[in-house]
Amino acid sequence: MRSVSRDLSPGLAAGAAGGRSAAAPRTVRRRRSRDLGTAALFLLPSLLGLLAFLVLPLFASFVLSFTNWQVMGTTRFVGVANYVRLATVDPVFWHVLGVTLMFTAEYLALNIVVSLTMAVWITSLSWGQRLFRLVFFLPTFTPLVGIALVWLLMLTPGGVVDWGMHALGIPLPNLITQPGLALQVVVIVSLWSHFGYNMLLFGAALEAIPSTYLDAASIDGADTWRRFWRIKLPLISPALFFGTVLTAITSLQTFDQVYALTRGGPGSATTTLGYAIYAQGFVSYKLGYASSIAWVLFAIIMALTLFQLRLQRQWVNYDA
Amino acid sequence: MASRLRAWTVRAIAAAALLMLAVAPHGARAEPVKLTWFMWSGSEPEVTAWKHVAALVTEKYPDITVEFQTTSFPDYWTKLPALAAAGKLPDIVSLQSLRTAGFSGLMEPLDSRIKADNFDIGAFEPSIVKGLSREGKIYALPYDFGPLVIFYNVDAFQKAGLTPPHPGWTEAEFMQDAKALTKDGSFGFAVWQPDAFIAFARSKGAQYLTAKGELDLTNPGLEKAFTAYAALVGTDKVAPLLPASGTQSSQLAAARFTAGNVAMIVNGPWQLINIKKQASFHVGLAPVPVREAGSISISAGSGFGIATTSKNKEAAWKAIQVMTGPDAEQYLAEQGRAFAARSADQKFWYDSAAQGVEGARDAIAAALKTAEPYVTTPNWSTVASGFEQYAPLAYAGSESPSKVLATIQDLATQ
Repeated sequence: MRSVSRDLSPGLAAGAAGGRSAAAPRTVRRRRSRDLGTAALFLLPSLLGLLAFLVLPLFASFVLSFTNWQVMGTTRFVGVANYVRLATVDPVFWHVLGVTLMFTAEYLALNIVVSLTMAVWITSLSWGQRLFRLVFFLPTFTPLVGIALVWLLMLTPGGVVDWGMHALGIPLPNLITQPGLALQVVVIVSLWSHFGYNMLLFGAALEAIPSTYLDAASIDGADTWRRFWRIKLPLISPALFFGTVLTAITSLQTFDQVYALTRGGPGSATTTLGYAIYAQGFVSYKLGYASSIAWVLFAIIMALTLFQLRLQRQWVNYDA
Repeated sequence: MASRLRAWTVRAIAAAALLMLAVAPHGARAEPVKLTWFMWSGSEPEVTAWKHVAALVTEKYPDITVEFQTTSFPDYWTKLPALAAAGKLPDIVSLQSLRTAGFSGLMEPLDSRIKADNFDIGAFEPSIVKGLSREGKIYALPYDFGPLVIFYNVDAFQKAGLTPPHPGWTEAEFMQDAKALTKDGSFGFAVWQPDAFIAFARSKGAQYLTAKGELDLTNPGLEKAFTAYAALVGTDKVAPLLPASGTQSSQLAAARFTAGNVAMIVNGPWQLINIKKQASFHVGLAPVPVREAGSISISAGSGFGIATTSKNKEAAWKAIQVMTGPDAEQYLAEQGRAFAARSADQKFWYDSAAQGVEGARDAIAAALKTAEPYVTTPNWSTVASGFEQYAPLAYAGSESPSKVLATIQDLATQ
């Protein structure tokens, strides 16, 4: 009996010790699961929003792109027929894709150059920085459809722009009715209304550069141009990268200015993929087909963004 | 015998009392019904007119209220399918005859109700009842219809010393007037598409559909007509070049007309409410000019129907009868919003809305004699949007009219 108790005691002791050592992780686990519950509760609203407004529509549009859904009539699964039609039958798809890429390249380059130039200029001012920032940022938060209508009035044949060109003796045809020039109108209006955002972003990044770096460079004999290229530009490269990625995405998605200004015309001169999705979906009511264009656009945006993320290693500097 | 008679009388009175008890509360306390009605509108006077029509329903049926929801005409045809896709269609759907083929699927056929209630469908103009029917079934009760006619600026004609347009006036007279009125930045005419062009083409004897009713924009007759139509802007320069834009070409043309910048436009009698209010000059009406095939206009109209998804179909049926009834028709005709679809109420449009509008009665009467119902294809919205987008290329001379028509045909039939 004693031997049994003796034999048992170490085990009991071990058991007791084991009980004590197991209690701590259990408490930690309990606390962790309680934290997880609280975190989940806090995350739930945004998670539900994400599911309802992003994941579900994305999934639904992907499924729809394989159907012939036209709101009315019977819907059936058509496989990849919509994608095949896009590439081989649609008389304007490749042209529309070209217009979208051309708009994106031109608008992106001009937006970055203009907003950076303006940001550098405003930062260099000794007075009125806030005023100029506000003035140039104003169009960004003005509804683009309203802006486009005013531009349309000015650009319409015989409007104030034509009158101005004529008065100045510039032999320029009406911009909005010429297929070769109409896209420039969309670029100009987009630029005018959107460069303020990047200007503010780059301005904030420029302000954050420690003056000691610039002072040291000046002492070392670096001129303004050299200070800009060698110090300012590398130091604001994260903001530049962010602005470039975001501007590229929004310009690929361009819709509202095209809708209000030109409805994709004249012809398909200003029809972007964003407008083509709308026209196929809500003018021709081919929602399945429109979804397939939307997924092509999604793929292009994804590819471009991944390419930019890859490229950032070459030129974006996070060491500051 | 007397006691048996008394007992029978008592039983009869008791039964009648019970019946009254059963019926009376039901009649007095009918469940209030709120119907939704989606309709397009282009101006504040139009909104007021439609709200008045909605109120007429409550006036007749105090337990029914009609909630008026509105948007612009082009947006209406974007939102309607979106509402259908979301299962949120209103109880009462407005339908234009040009869109019957495309949208009747969302609406309840009314034939059985018309038959059950002995509703007098014969009181409406047969052509618009046909326009709102598909495969022999009626999908909406019409409130208006009308042929496209010429609206002209009486003051401009007088100032230029020209004889105003009149029934029987020819294309040569039209061109002469248009040229005379094109000066000092003003234009004699404004082109828009596709409806105004279709009226022009039909007067030239050109077809836009095959005998089977399929889209046929590439036939030589239509190409020739479109070349002549585009020449009004490009070669003859009697009409301004209106750009493809967020505003429909018909609205751009109407805006130029009411601003006094254009002396003649093509439009329907339903636009009189807006044009009269906005124009600061006297307005006159005339049929479209006589061309190779005569003065042929196209007539279209609109009406109200019941959505297949409505939970209050019975109330909606009552409501659309009031909304297209004689009182509503009289009111809309007097306001100039509708050339009444009920033949008996057209006099109100002539007597009130067309009051002071030069030549209105003769113009509409003459146009109705030769007008054809505007027949369209189920994908007409693609055709119309194609015309809006591509026709300016032909007007500006950037592309040949035949190439523009071929592109629209391709886009609509791909």
